Amino acid sequence: MEDVIFQPLKFRNLTVKNRLFRSSISGRWDNYNGSGSQARINWETKFARGGIGAIITSFVPVHIRGRIMPNYAMIDHDDKIPFWRAVGNAVHEYDCRFIMQLSHSGRQRDVPGAENLMNRALSSTDTMDSFHGLLCQAMTLQEIKQTIDHFAQGARRAREAGLDGVELHASHGYLFTQFLSSAINDRKDEYGGPLENRARFLLDVIHAIRREVGRDFHLQVKINAVDNNNALYPWEKKGNTLEESIQICKWVEQAGADALHVSIGSMFPHPQLPSGGFPLDEANWWYGNMLSAGVRGYFNYTLFHYKLLRPLFYAFWNRTKKERPLEGVCAEEAREVKKAVSIPVINTGGYQSGALIRKVISEGWCDGVTIARPLIANNDLPHILQRGEEPDRPCSFCNRCLVNALGNPLGCYDVRRYNGDRDAMIREVMTVYDPAPFR
Amino acid sequence: MHETQTVQKDRVLVDAVRTSPVDEDLLRFRRTAVIIVVAVLVVLLALFLWRFRVDSPVTYKSDEDHFKYGSIGAEPGGSVFSPVGGVLPPYDIFRVLPDICPDKLPGGYASLGLIVEPGHDMPIGVSKRKRLGFEQVALNCAGCHTGTYRASPHDQPKIVLGMPAHSLDLQRFFDFVTSCTLDPRFTPDNVIGKIQAAGGDLGFIDRWLYRSQVIPTTRESVLRLRARVGPLLDGSVTQWGLGRVDTFNPYKAIQFNWRLQDLPRSELIGASDYPALWNQKPRDGMQLHWDGNNTSLAERNLSAALGAGVTPVTVDHARLNRVRDWIKDLRPPRYPFAIDEALAAKGETAYREHCVRCHADHRFGVDGHLEKGWLVGEVDPIERIGTDRYRLDSYTLAFASNQYTLYPHSEHQFRNFRKTNGYANQPLDGIWARAPYLHNGSVPTLRDLLEPPEARPKLFYRGYDVYDPEKVGFRSDVAEEKGRRYFAFDTSVPGNGNGGHLYGTRLPAEDKQAIVEYMKKF
Ligand SMILES: Cc1cc2nc3c(=O)[nH]c(=O)nc-3n(C[C@H](O)[C@H](O)[C@H](O)COP(=O)(O)O)c2cc1C
Ligand code: SF4
Repeated sequence: MEDVIFQPLKFRNLTVKNRLFRSSISGRWDNYNGSGSQARINWETKFARGGIGAIITSFVPVHIRGRIMPNYAMIDHDDKIPFWRAVGNAVHEYDCRFIMQLSHSGRQRDVPGAENLMNRALSSTDTMDSFHGLLCQAMTLQEIKQTIDHFAQGARRAREAGLDGVELHASHGYLFTQFLSSAINDRKDEYGGPLENRARFLLDVIHAIRREVGRDFHLQVKINAVDNNNALYPWEKKGNTLEESIQICKWVEQAGADALHVSIGSMFPHPQLPSGGFPLDEANWWYGNMLSAGVRGYFNYTLFHYKLLRPLFYAFWNRTKKERPLEGVCAEEAREVKKAVSIPVINTGGYQSGALIRKVISEGWCDGVTIARPLIANNDLPHILQRGEEPDRPCSFCNRCLVNALGNPLGCYDVRRYNGDRDAMIREVMTVYDPAPFR
Repeated sequence: MHETQTVQKDRVLVDAVRTSPVDEDLLRFRRTAVIIVVAVLVVLLALFLWRFRVDSPVTYKSDEDHFKYGSIGAEPGGSVFSPVGGVLPPYDIFRVLPDICPDKLPGGYASLGLIVEPGHDMPIGVSKRKRLGFEQVALNCAGCHTGTYRASPHDQPKIVLGMPAHSLDLQRFFDFVTSCTLDPRFTPDNVIGKIQAAGGDLGFIDRWLYRSQVIPTTRESVLRLRARVGPLLDGSVTQWGLGRVDTFNPYKAIQFNWRLQDLPRSELIGASDYPALWNQKPRDGMQLHWDGNNTSLAERNLSAALGAGVTPVTVDHARLNRVRDWIKDLRPPRYPFAIDEALAAKGETAYREHCVRCHADHRFGVDGHLEKGWLVGEVDPIERIGTDRYRLDSYTLAFASNQYTLYPHSEHQFRNFRKTNGYANQPLDGIWARAPYLHNGSVPTLRDLLEPPEARPKLFYRGYDVYDPEKVGFRSDVAEEKGRRYFAFDTSVPGNGNGGHLYGTRLPAEDKQAIVEYMKKF
């Protein structure tokens, strides 16, 4: 019997050779100003070589004000097209599709960098985020229009670069979530209030992209099935429910999206996603990068720094974790979304074991899965799964990669996976710089 | 000039550009935080001040109660960090001291002659006042000026306010309080345990303060106190015994920090009887104190308060004045037994002839009238009276000049103290209740006083309060009753001499008896 995982997946404008997507993961290895680097090409190629069907890039800002961290390659200008073409070509050599995640941070701008130090982030609201205290101001209608255009231009550039499609990052608390979520959006104009008003910004962007790139270019939307905005601080509002999200998904489909990528959580990271631990020893080292980003940075840093205070943070952070499994964190929500729409649904959240992936696909919960950390840990996970095996040194979902991303090149930082050999671990992480740019 | 201006302008520009929105917000947050922190600090400070600066004496409605239990300001004052004045530990500790050192004071405070009234947790003469964050106790006037008498050993003692505390063993009282405080059993655990066991409810903060502050400070101040007054408590000078106090020597040590060890031994012998406090108004202007060293009632009162432990810092003038006003008109107690009026009438005649010139008659305080030329309230030179001179010598010129330094630049500054050369003639109002007699209490009864010195008792017991209407005075042949030992008064000891005051000693026995009968009417 054929392995469902390795059945091709057909979208309207795109066919992927298997059901495995590399979920978007950002790392700090491009040039500071958002122009691309050889390391990026090396990084993406690793996964293509590892057998993944399609790669969704990292968070790719459509504008400098929407960047979450420096050293993330952007798509804010035509001068970025050649770089992305080079990345796409490199990936395509392995029969791997390459989808660009068009993104805007809104207020969730973790490390603003020198360029953004003196401005407030643009958002749907004036209210800062509750975790880091990142400041923002509500966009004017004109700024909304400009931002819609930034997304359309981003999509055009992706197409011109020969990439296989784009994904709108409408989950995890970034700008689209800030408009969509009833917990965050407090606008009084046509972009706030009832669900259709909150969805307007996302739908406007989809329409604008379609106008710009036409109907025959793959467009998918990564979306929260539930916000659970009060998972960290119980006194916050809950945000969108599954029903509301399903309604948004239907509208997204109508607006012309080709697929949905289901996730959860009104911020990133969120206590429920990425699943697993929150390593405060790492946070103690790398969270310092965020001190100038938000007004609660010092508070959090203090909690992370003093061992005595850490239990206080964990009490909040781990409060709602047990409601969800480690693997397939939001699979049930994906199933509900899938029931409601007729475009393919892919799902993210802790997919590593072949058995679980086969189950959710064969039982029709989703059409494919996206994988982030298990692929950081084992770039060739698809090959392993294809052999019917499971990885020897699986990802432990410890989230050290996540916390290191604040300051260091992305990679797997769980030293246990390297038999406790820290040097070996760093050597492995640094392979992203090989080959070097000048040869 | 031009250059500096540019530099300054540049600096302003640089500063203006250097605040990011996050910085601005944090600055606002910090400002709010600072305001909150300051507000919290202010509240804490207010609580601190309220707790440690509050000065609230217990106030009594009636003058009698105020006299018995009211504060005159002898409780420690100053600040928590450097308390001044006050020779007793805080209330909770004072109360349980007898439980901490039961062997040092079997029978509790009452066994020292302190009078405990039913319904009161502190004896008469011990005042309560909240100071430095704690309930403090101290002595007031009543401690030394309240006495009792009984008609027979089976009677309940009758309390007489203003009467000399002829049963009080003040020396042992101080010895007990200080030596128990320095006893190895005076540990925080033990003290706090005893307080809790006695029903004292020390909260968490109190317990902490007791442990860290109060108990160590109490010990330290007692160590200092003991070092200063050592020679007065170590038995090396004539014992005060019951009903006597050395007014000025502790005063030298405590108020002026004199090294008593450096004074001539003889100067440290100054024990004398407590005087009575009634009829103070007609005494104003007389030469007061046994040796007549002051003619101002106000100064005499303030000085006596210093003896009870007030300091210029802690003294409560208003409350002291309330006592002053009350004792001005306080009447002496009437003689409580039968008087042979015929004999008394006979005695009056003899008294007029031999005694009235120096001592006024039974009308003193009623009309207050004293005829010209009379010697009442005047100092009689020591050579003429011939009584024991130690008390006179304990008050020195150097001491007087030190007294002038107290209360500088205030209306309370002493101006009237002077060194005299004898003892002042006293009016004899309420004389029956003022036994034993002479300034040093060396003669037990009036009748004995009218005998020549050789015939006066050489060894008798002081402090017993059963009355002897025959000889007018307290019975002085009882050494012990119900475990309480009375003070064996030996007239051969320096300071205890019973010589002198030969007036009336050569009269016939009937006249003497008649004069004594007459004096019952005083
Ligand atoms: C280091 C790191 C970076 C990530 N960056 C992105 C991102 O740029 N965009 C995005 O949509 N999700 C991002 N995610 C979330 C992942 O795409 C994924 O949805 C999530 O980690 C759950 O999948 P996993 O359990 O397979 O890791 C990131 C996750 C990690 C650990
Ligand atoms: S650090 Fe490694 S093991 Fe830990 S979550 Fe990331 S990839 Fe997995």
